[in-house]
Amino acid sequence: MSHHLFLLSPSDTPLYSLTHYSSKPSQSTSSPLASNLPSWSTSAFAGTLTALSGASSASQTQHGQGGTVKIGGGQDRHVIQMIANASLDAIEEVMRKESVMYLKSVDKFNEWTVSAFVTPGNMKFVLLHESRNDDGIKAFFNDVWELYVKTMLNPFHTAHTPIRSPVFDARVRASAKKHL
Amino acid sequence: MSYPQPHPRFSVLSNSSLSSAEHLSPASSSRFSLPSAPSINTATTPKPGVRPNIYDRPLNKTRNAEVSAAAFAFMFSEIVQYTQKRVSGINDLERRLNTLGYRIGTRVLELMAWRNESAAKAPKRETRFLPALMSIHTHVWRAVFGKPADAIEKSVENADEYMIIDNDPPITRNISVPRDMSSLSCSSFTAGIVEAVLDGLGFSARVTAHNTPNDQYPNRTTILIKLEKSVLEREEALKT
Repeated sequence: MSHHLFLLSPSDTPLYSLTHYSSKPSQSTSSPLASNLPSWSTSAFAGTLTALSGASSASQTQHGQGGTVKIGGGQDRHVIQMIANASLDAIEEVMRKESVMYLKSVDKFNEWTVSAFVTPGNMKFVLLHESRNDDGIKAFFNDVWELYVKTMLNPFHTAHTPIRSPVFDARVRASAKKHL
Repeated sequence: MSYPQPHPRFSVLSNSSLSSAEHLSPASSSRFSLPSAPSINTATTPKPGVRPNIYDRPLNKTRNAEVSAAAFAFMFSEIVQYTQKRVSGINDLERRLNTLGYRIGTRVLELMAWRNESAAKAPKRETRFLPALMSIHTHVWRAVFGKPADAIEKSVENADEYMIIDNDPPITRNISVPRDMSSLSCSSFTAGIVEAVLDGLGFSARVTAHNTPNDQYPNRTTILIKLEKSVLEREEALKT
């Protein structure tokens, strides 16, 4: 079971992303955006189609023994990104009416549920998850929020600076491990 | 730069600094954003050589988080002087002070919200304009200046204009503006903070500062908020 976190700036620039595998801690090869970009092999398009059609569970069993294919971490990475970006529309709609920062299950796509957290400064934390875990996600978002506030207090940080701090990354991972 | 006989080295220097300040990139203005939020700086004085990581420090306000008013006045005076050397007129100067304040405002907003809301069960944002304005008047002012602002007014003539009034803004207390620049208000810096907070909350507005002295308060300053049309329309739609 995997979780995908994206931090998006008010102008929807992705500042940070994390993939977290909770059930198999040995496979937690979650890495920042750059290394997780899809590898453009010949079957990249096929991967998109399977993921879009919601057949990812099938492909998981198919390659399950080898343990090489991970949902959202490999070729269908761009599908995950697309789902996260598409959910922004739903988030923007809800955040005008709801004053709470934690918007749970704002969007659904196949097996993915999208939860979001909108900070007062209009930063959006988007999390794709497969199972319900409201309290854990809320605690996770709270941790990320605190870490983000600390990051943005850096005078050299602007609204468009990607967050590259290894400490930030480590803290978010530790929180993900704890709560998700 | 109209020196009678520009020294070649000077002219190169001033040109380069002019151009770097010209495009107001984050990098060129970022170094001013450190000291200007008097009470949001949580840095405790660390032992020499031991600098705790920002992620290890608590975000909550500590007792020694206040910045000395004298030190801040000195810093702000340098900021204004530095900026003044690189602009062509009062409007330009105010615009740049506004930009510098904007960088503070984004941080003040997030930090203030975190301090107020992170312990709450369901953290909330302001989604309506008037509560947001009230929270700027009290919470933001208290976070930045240590006291609430003195008044909020709504313009009678224009429905999209609101004013926050401070009878004696702390940041301009030690500034006396020369007579030939009397329209200059260094509170543009504050206006920038307000603009950033409103922007962050989703209420796009143009915020400017104006001197409105009266007999009792010679330093009285009005922060004028001119909301964008889309904000008013949204407020109208949300009312139902």
